[in-house]
Order: sequence, then structure tokens, then C-alpha cells
Amino acid sequence: MPEEKIVKKPGVCIPWEEKIKEYQKITGDENILKQVWEDIDNLAYVYIWFCLIAA
Amino acid sequence: MEKLYNERLERYVTAMQNKKPDKVPIRPFVAEFVAKYAGYTCQEVTHNADKAFAAVRKCAKDFDWDAVVGNMVYVWTGMTEAASLKYYRVPGIDLSPDEAFQYVEPANEAEAHMRADEYDQLIDDPTGFLANVWLPRVSRDLSKDEEACNYRSNLAWLKGGIAMMKYFQGFGVQADLLKKESGTVGAIAGALKAPCDILADKLRGYRQLSADMFRRPEKVVAACEALRPHMMYNAIASADPTKTVPISVWLHRGCAPFMSYQAYEKFYWPTLKQIILDLWSIGYQVLFYAEGNWDQNLKYTAELPDRCIIYHVDRGDIFEVHKQVGHKFCLSGGIPNDLLTYGSPDDVRSLCKKIIDAVAKDGGYIMDAGAIIQQDAKTENVKAMTEFTREYGVY
Repeated sequence: MPEEKIVKKPGVCIPWEEKIKEYQKITGDENILKQVWEDIDNLAYVYIWFCLIAA
Repeated sequence: MEKLYNERLERYVTAMQNKKPDKVPIRPFVAEFVAKYAGYTCQEVTHNADKAFAAVRKCAKDFDWDAVVGNMVYVWTGMTEAASLKYYRVPGIDLSPDEAFQYVEPANEAEAHMRADEYDQLIDDPTGFLANVWLPRVSRDLSKDEEACNYRSNLAWLKGGIAMMKYFQGFGVQADLLKKESGTVGAIAGALKAPCDILADKLRGYRQLSADMFRRPEKVVAACEALRPHMMYNAIASADPTKTVPISVWLHRGCAPFMSYQAYEKFYWPTLKQIILDLWSIGYQVLFYAEGNWDQNLKYTAELPDRCIIYHVDRGDIFEVHKQVGHKFCLSGGIPNDLLTYGSPDDVRSLCKKIIDAVAKDGGYIMDAGAIIQQDAKTENVKAMTEFTREYGVY
């Protein structure tokens, strides 16, 4: 069965749902990993779109 | 200084609510003008953001303006050169140091930053398309998909991103300094473009988009819709969290002679209108900075809820605009830039009086030029606009 495509929402470059597949195991708090991943990923998103809109 | 700041903020916000403040607010969008006034070249304020910020603050101290933009020389070429973006003519490199930067739009299909057969890629994944195709195509250094990654490419990504962060931080410091040093309000926060303008300006080029509207209209509509949520997101991401000052939408090619009202109705207006409505529904006003003459579009603009926009007049007839939509929206602008460049202080004062008498009499008007004020504007005319408005524009 083909893998379901993860649709990127505004604010996202690499969705957490895609990133987490790279980890064999999460031994600690997944929410911390998710939150920080999404915060920094969002900065990259803002940069890409800033180049388009205002630079 | 806090008292002065609060008075100015109250004045500015009251007018934006289409009400009558104590005086007509003055909110000039001064760009390269600040360079001339502060003794810098255009190159200095375009390439060195700290000098641009300093020039704005010098002007804000010397002119009795209620609100200004932290830096209206909107492209920081220090950052665009770090990312190696190809589409600017830069003062001090491609132009003389005393000329304002120029944006070079794709002139034909071969130069288009997005090819005609790439609409589906953009629609399917806008962020992915920008990162994988558009940015590498518009940068000299970023490696293209088929190339091996290299040192210059890695650094271009890194430096561009870091430069953006530094620039954003600079705006925060600037807002604070403007408040403390001169009691001046930051006029806007958050940037927005109409999806159709993004397609024309940065992706296809105006000529190619014009052809696309006939050859592949469904793709143009779908691309605008794909861009819409991202425009919304980015506008909010950089907006005033207190929702006091508006988000600005810089409107380029939706007007005659660039676009017929039929094309406007089909391609340009639907997504722009939806974004404005969605922003208003969560408490944000939008400064509808309509560059050129947007008078033929007024019947569409009038569809918007009262007070959701501040309508800015560039080359339109501000007196006619006031008649048609002045009861709904605060207006700004209406002083032609060529008057500030070629006219006399008396000419400027005379027009300011006409506008204040006809348009500002019930409030809901903000004094400004039609377009951003650049290095060609005479200082004595900008002074005349400011001083006359301050003296005569009292309710």
C-alpha cells in the first residue's frame, strides 16, 4: 500500500510526522522533541517565504 | 516622551478606526529620503541596515511625524547578497551609490523564475517548490537539484537565514528606540502580498502571467488559492501581537492598465478578499496600499466590511475615493510623489489644504504621499507637508 503523503501546512518545512520516522526509538519525552523541532523548522519556513514576499 | 508617544498612538489609531482624532495624523512612508536627509548615500541605507535604522530615527527626531516604518528601504541588500539573489540591481554594485535599488522582473519565458509547466509543483507543495526550485533558480550560489551540494551553496542558505534573524531583531530594537528617542509610533507590522502579485512579481513575471491568464487560467486560479494560506500565515507571523497597528498589503498589478476588471474579478480579487476577511475576523486591520490608480476597483473594495482596511491612495483621485468609500474606511495618501520632487512648498501646502478640507474634515484620514518617498523628494516639500498638516490639520 503506498505511503500516505503528509501534506505540509503553512509554517512547516519538514513535518514532525515525517521526522519522527527517522528515529528508531524515542526513549524520553516526544513532546519536547516535537516542539523544538517545529519551532526551528518554522524559522526555516519563515526565511523561505520571507525571500518570496519581502526580499 | 511616553506622553508624546501615547498622544501620537491615540491619534493614529483613532484615525484608522475612521474616527476623528485631535489632529490629522502624519505617517509618511519615507524610504531613501531618509538617506538624503541624514547624509547617507542610497547604497549606505540599502546595504547597511544599521545606517538605515539610524537615518529613520534622525528623521523621526527632526520631523513631527506620528508614525513611521522602522525601515522603508524594504530590501536589505546585505542579506540578498549573502543569499546571492540575482534579481536586484544594487546601488554601489550595479547602480551608482545614489540610486535606489531596482527589482528586475523576468521579461520572458526563458527568464521566468517559475516555468509554465511548473504550476502543479507549486500548487502541490508551495514551500517545497520555493526551497527546491525557486530559491536555487534565483540565487547564484544555491545549488540546483541536479547539482552536488557545495560550500558556497551551504553558506548561502546559512548566511541568508542568519541575516534575516538579525534583521528581524533589528526591527524590534528600532521600534523601541523610535518610541524612546522621539515618541514615534511604528506604523505597520506584518507583510502581505496578493497571491496574484506574487505570481507576477516573483514567479512568472507580469508578461508571462498575463499570457497564463488566457492559456492556463485554471492553473492561475489554483496557484493563487495554494498561495493564500501561506500569505495569511506569514502576515500573522510578523504582525503586531496587540493588533493595534495594521498589516500592510503592497498591491501592485491589480489595477489598470495592468489588469482589466474582468481579470481582477477572476484571478486577483477572490484570494485577496478572503485573506483580508480572514485577518479581520481575528482582529487585524490591513493597510490596503494600492500602488497606482485603483479607482476602477473601488466597487470590489467597497465589498469589504467597514474599518477592516485603511485605504491608501497613490495615483487615484482621493476626492472621488473619499466620496465612494470614505464612510467605510480611513484613507491615507493622495499627495503625489512628483509634487514632492518637482513642486514648491506652496504647491504642497495648497494640496494638503484641499485634501484636509475635503477628505479629513470628519476624521478618518492620514497624511502621506502616494508612494514611498525616495531620495528625489525635496526636503523643504516634506517639511511643508509635515508643518502645514500639523498646524492646519487640527480638529
